[in-house]
Parts: sequence; structure tokens; C-alpha cells
Amino acid sequence: MTPRDGLAGARQRRLADVVEQRHVIVCTGSGGVGKTTSAAAIALGAARAGRRTIVLTIDPAKRLAQSLGLTSLDNTPRAVKGVENLDAMMLDMKGTFDEVIDRHASDPRRAARIKANRFYQQLSSSLAGTQEYMATEKLYDLHNTGRYDCIVIDTPPTRNALDLLDAPKRLTDFLEGRFLRMFLAPGLAAGRIATRAAGFGAGLFMKTASRLTGQAVLSDLAEFFQSFEGMYDEFKQRAQQVYRLLQSPTSAFVVVATPEVPALREARYFLQRLAQDGMPTAGLVVNRVTPPPPDGLDGLPAKQARQAAGALLGGSADENAVAALLDLHADRLGVTKRERKNIAAALHGIDPRALVEVPLMDSDVHDLDDLTAICEVLLGA
Amino acid sequence: MELENLLDPRLIIVTGKGGVGKSTVAASLALAAAGTGRRTCLVEVEGRQTFSRLFSTQTWDFSEREFRPGLWGLSVDADASLREYLEMFYGARRLSRIVTNSSAVEFATTAAPGIKDVLLIGKVKEVERRRDPDGRFHYDLIVLDAPPTGRIVNFLRAPDATTELVNIGPIRDQAQSVIDMLLDPQRTNVHLVTLLEEMPVQETIDSARALDEVGVTLGPVVVNRVLSPRFDDTTRKAFEGLDVAATQRVVAKADVELTDQGAEALLRIGTLHLHRLELQERMRGILSRRLRLPLLELPYLWDEHFGADELAHLAEVVEESL
Ligand SMILES: Nc1ncnc2c1ncn2[C@@H]1O[C@H](COP(=O)(O)OP(=O)(O)OP(=O)(O)O)[C@@H](O)[C@H]1O
Ligand SMILES: Nc1ncnc2c1ncn2[C@@H]1O[C@H](COP(=O)(O)OP(=O)(O)OP(=O)(O)O)[C@@H](O)[C@H]1O
Ligand SMILES: [Mg+2]
Ligand SMILES: [Mg+2]
Repeated sequence: MTPRDGLAGARQRRLADVVEQRHVIVCTGSGGVGKTTSAAAIALGAARAGRRTIVLTIDPAKRLAQSLGLTSLDNTPRAVKGVENLDAMMLDMKGTFDEVIDRHASDPRRAARIKANRFYQQLSSSLAGTQEYMATEKLYDLHNTGRYDCIVIDTPPTRNALDLLDAPKRLTDFLEGRFLRMFLAPGLAAGRIATRAAGFGAGLFMKTASRLTGQAVLSDLAEFFQSFEGMYDEFKQRAQQVYRLLQSPTSAFVVVATPEVPALREARYFLQRLAQDGMPTAGLVVNRVTPPPPDGLDGLPAKQARQAAGALLGGSADENAVAALLDLHADRLGVTKRERKNIAAALHGIDPRALVEVPLMDSDVHDLDDLTAICEVLLGA
Repeated sequence: MELENLLDPRLIIVTGKGGVGKSTVAASLALAAAGTGRRTCLVEVEGRQTFSRLFSTQTWDFSEREFRPGLWGLSVDADASLREYLEMFYGARRLSRIVTNSSAVEFATTAAPGIKDVLLIGKVKEVERRRDPDGRFHYDLIVLDAPPTGRIVNFLRAPDATTELVNIGPIRDQAQSVIDMLLDPQRTNVHLVTLLEEMPVQETIDSARALDEVGVTLGPVVVNRVLSPRFDDTTRKAFEGLDVAATQRVVAKADVELTDQGAEALLRIGTLHLHRLELQERMRGILSRRLRLPLLELPYLWDEHFGADELAHLAEVVEESL
């Protein structure tokens, strides 16, 4: 099979079987490409196929949220009005992290101490991928309830789509405190870290760190790790379970991009990385493509349209108007060509399994009708 | 703030929602500035090599390169910025003892993430302050392709947050001088890039408010990918009077044959175009009512490729608005 065949083959496969069969569907891609929209449309498709479905959205646009009946950021599934079998919820990042701490802490006092720690409070914004990790953590919760046949999750806009895959390891590595564990013995007064550490021959490390961050930061940090002591193994175990769920063949990753080079490049990296990690790739959605010429105009090539426009220009008002239309048609064909080329280049030599192009709609996507339209394209209906 | 003063600050920070064209706009502004004779430096902070790809140059790194006459390129990262800064602060010899421990640096920047951003902007500040032997500034203008709106507030607030946390030492000094640069309206302007679509417009309005609170001065809003009208009043009226048969008759004069379906489709393209223009007009109205900042509009380019030529074209549009 040549890559060209692969692309054509992928183009013919839609996401229908994914939507009808997979248990977990993750929508990912770079910022603003349509992850939330795709997640909602996919969930709608699963619900319409009679599966008990929930979509876990992250920071949806206000009007989309309203259409889904979401008004508050509270981690509570709510039934979507007008669609049977469909629940939706908005991820509360902070709340989810707190739940994780509550779950793993041996007693409420310790949990409270961690949650009050200044370092903890900024951890989710400081450690790349923590937000992604919380989304998958919540997903695992929903999975455990057994209430849903299909769980669709959205991912936050990230610098790097790979953060989603790297997050569990990064987080557990950090919490494990590779360097720190050696230095910060439990019960050690925070103020004395530097001295004690020096005794371990680690003075330079702590000295450098405290020069950069100031002592206050290190004290917060020390307190955080002291409180976290003993929770680490459970935490790591849980992260591994989450990762395994994502890796299982009942899960599916849908990568979303726009037909522009930067978004497609990101998508390509991600597809490659999914393959490397043995993750179940389901397909690439290229969203917001310039709609192809409608039937009846597909036989009019750009060059001929431009020539005709040139011939008509300068004539009657009608002729000038039609010349403008012909030019518009030719321009759109040009963009379509650019987009096709971008897509083919991004997929050169890799098989995305399915490839769906979703046209740019006439307006923003915010109600159930709009979502239904996108859903139908995704499923190939 | 007037459009003609667009390129007058010493540092222009370009931000906007993901994918709206921040890098495109940053590159176009930089090209335009170089075109006006300003010695200009275009800076990327996320190490994505966006510009070296767009301009087909060698990979960019921590040392500036002149890739167009009068236009330099620089890619800054936190590690190199830190090393350079400490070298200045402590001198090279003591430095080697301090920073060979790079895991300490990594650790510190995770513990207090703002530090990384302070270091990045710190490097930009060094470039901005740099003087030639004759006492003049080395660069007239620095254009920064900054993180997207979702992260920009934390990025620009990092120096402030850091001075709260860290009360002594080199990082604190660095943070303070960075704040001085960012908050000086003569030195720094933030340009928001947006599209004439609902979400980006909403996000722009929200970000403008948040950036106001940070205290930075906003420059013009750069509206990217603007569709220009294809009809004037006369042809628009003519278009509205066209039906399938008339359309077929007109195209036949230019030797094009269209089926009924084809003629209908051609007319629909016109309707869609007018619909888009209406949406644009509505969004433009919302933007100017809510923000009271001048708008710099850049056209949507229909070319089959998007590369250096397209950037040059957009730079011309920028220059014309000066
Ligand atoms: N096919 C489409 N046609 C027209 N508008 C679309 C289409 N898909 C998405 N949109 C609009 O584009 C905007 C961005 O979509 P969406 O919020 O789904 O992106 P996202 O990837 O989740 O963004 P973020 O990275 O900010 O979370 C929304 O306003 C949405 O309504
Ligand atoms: N004026 C324009 N006309 C046509 N296409 C454009 C225009 N501006 C940008 N584009 C297209 O949009 C793509 C994305 O633009 P750009 O990389 O500047 O966005 P960005 O905001 O920097 O994205 P990111 O958030 O990923 O950094 C470009 O590669 C180009 O294909
Ligand atoms: Mg989203
Ligand atoms: Mg960019």
C-alpha cells in the first residue's frame, strides 16, 4: 500500500464504528481547532446510537455550554435536554485535583494540609500536563461508576498535544520527588532544609534552588512533600490504571486539526506518538475545511473560471456581478488545493486510520442542530 | 493610540487565541518595521521554530541572526536565559559552579513556574536595553511572538508574582526591571490578534480587560483574515436580481456552460459571501464598541501557499496603514 492509497483509504473510513463501539473516546489537538465541538458531536452520535453517553467538556464556549445545559463548573453530570441517553459535564480542574488528594490522603487533616499548601495550589498551572491528567483522572472515575457505555472527553488547549500522554509520568515523577526525597526527610523543619541538605552533600543543589526561588518557596515545597509522604505509591498506581484504560483497545483517540500547517504538524506528531506508545488511534478530524465546490460547479476548474471572469469584467452590471462570483469560486478552489496539500503533506507516510474533513459551517457551532450536522459528517451519514 | 504610531514602542508583544495568526502578525509587523528602516528583532519564546520554517532559514537559537536586511531573529529559552543572566550577575567562574546543576534549575522552575517566564522576558529586556558603543539602542523595535491569550496574563504577571515570592537575589532584581519595561507605555505595547468570528472576538474582549488589569498598554487590535467585499453597490444590486437562467446566459457569453444546479451553486457562493461579510461587520461593530482601540485589518490571502511572500504582502498592508 502506498501512502497515497493509505490517505484515500483513510478518507473513506469514517468514525461511525468508533462512535458505536468504543467505550472511551478522547478528542485532542492544538488550541482552537474544534476539540470541544468534536467531542460534543461525537457524544451526540453515540447517544443517538442508543448508548448511555457522557461528554466531559473543558471550558466550552458559553453558547455551546448553554445548549448542553451546562451552567456551572461543578463536575456534576447533567442530562442534555432534548437528547435521550446523553449527559454532559464541565470539568472542574481544581475540584478534581482536590478529590484525588482526598482519596489518597490517610486522614482528612492531612488532606486539608495539602490543599492549603501554596505550592499545591499552583501545581496544576505549573506542571505541564496536569490539567490533562485531571481530565483523564475524572474519566477514570466516570468509567468506574459503570453508568456509561460511552465516555467522550475533551482536552484543554495545550502548548503541546503530547502533554496528554506525558502527564501521568511527569506528575508521578515530580511527586516522587526524584531529587527531593533524598533531601527532605519527614519531620524536618522547613527552615533547616539547606543545612541538613548540605550534610548530604547536596548543598549546591539546594543553594542554587533557593537562590532562584527564595526560601519561602522551598518551605512550601518541603511542607508539601512531607504531607504527601506515603501517598505516592497509591497515586502512582492510580496513574497507571488510568493510563492502561486509555491504552486499552476499547478506547479511541481522535486527533483534531484545522487544514493549516501548524495545527496539522502538531496532529502529525501526536499521531506518531500515539503509534509509538501503542495507543488506540481512531482517526484524524480536519475541521473547518473550505467546503468543496457544490455539485454542478465541480466541473468548472479555477483557470477556466478566471478566464471567464476576465472576459466578463468591464461589461454590464450583471456581467460584473457574475465575474465576481466566478472569481470567488476560483479563489475557493485555490484554498481547497492548499488545504488538500497541507493535509496530504502532514499525513505523508502515516496512517491515521480514518480521516474526516468537516467543512467550515456558515456560523459558529452552538446549538444541537449545528452539532447534529457535524455529527453526521463525522459518522459519514 | 493611533494606527500610525503602531511601530513606535520599543517592544511589541503579540498575542491572541490559538491559531488566529499571532506568528503571522508578529512576522508581518517585524517585516514592516524593518521596511521603515527600524533595526528590528523578531523573537519567539516557545521554541517551535515557527519563523525559521516560515522564512525557510536555518534553525533559530539563542543568538540573533540577521535573516532579512535590518531584521534579526531570536529564539529564547529559559535555560539559556538563566545561564546568561547569572553569568552577568555572578561572573563566569562562580557561575559554572552554580548552574552545572541543571536539575536544580529545572526543579526551581517547576516549583515556582513564573521564574521561567521572568527569565524569558528578562532576555527580551536585555535585548531591548542593549546599546551600541555610540550610546544608541542596538535595536529600534523588538517584536515578541508571545504565548496565546490563555496563558498571556500569567506570562506577563510572572514578574510581579515572583517579586512577591522571592524577596532577594538576582531573580528578584531581574523581575523588577522586567516589570518596569512591561508597564511603561512608551516602551511596551501588547497587540491582540483576532478574527471577525464570535469566539475569538469574545476572547479578545475578555483578554483586553484582563491585560488592562495587569497594567500593560494595549496597542491596536490586529484583525486577521478579513474578507474583502467582492461587490460594489451596483454589482450587488445586479447580483440580487440574478436568477438561474440569467446566470446561465451571462456565463455563456464567456463560453462557460452551467447546468441549473451549477448556476444555483454559483449564486449560493455569492449569498454565502454576503452572509460572511454581514457577520464580519457585526463582529467589527462589537469590537470597536467594546474596546475603543484602533483596528488594523489584514486581508485573508487566498494564495495556494502560505509562506514568506504572503508575509511580505501582509507587511505591505501594515506599512500602508502607518
Ligand atoms: N466546522 C466548524 N465550522 C464553523 N465553526 C466551527 C467549526 N468547528 C468549530 N467551530 C467554532 O470554532 C470555535 C472553536 O471551537 P472549539 O471551542 O470546539 O475549539 P477547541 O479546540 O475546543 O478550542 P480550545 O483549544 O480553546 O479549547 C468555536 O466558536 C466553534 O463554534
Ligand atoms: N491573513 C491570512 N490569510 C490566509 N491564511 C492565513 C492568514 N493568516 C494566517 N493564515 C493561516 O493560518 C495559519 C496559522 O497562522 P499562525 O501560525 O500565524 O497562527 P498562530 O496564532 O501563531 O498559531 P499558534 O496558536 O499555533 O501559534 C498559517 O499557517 C496560515 O496558513
Ligand atoms: Mg475546547
Ligand atoms: Mg504561533
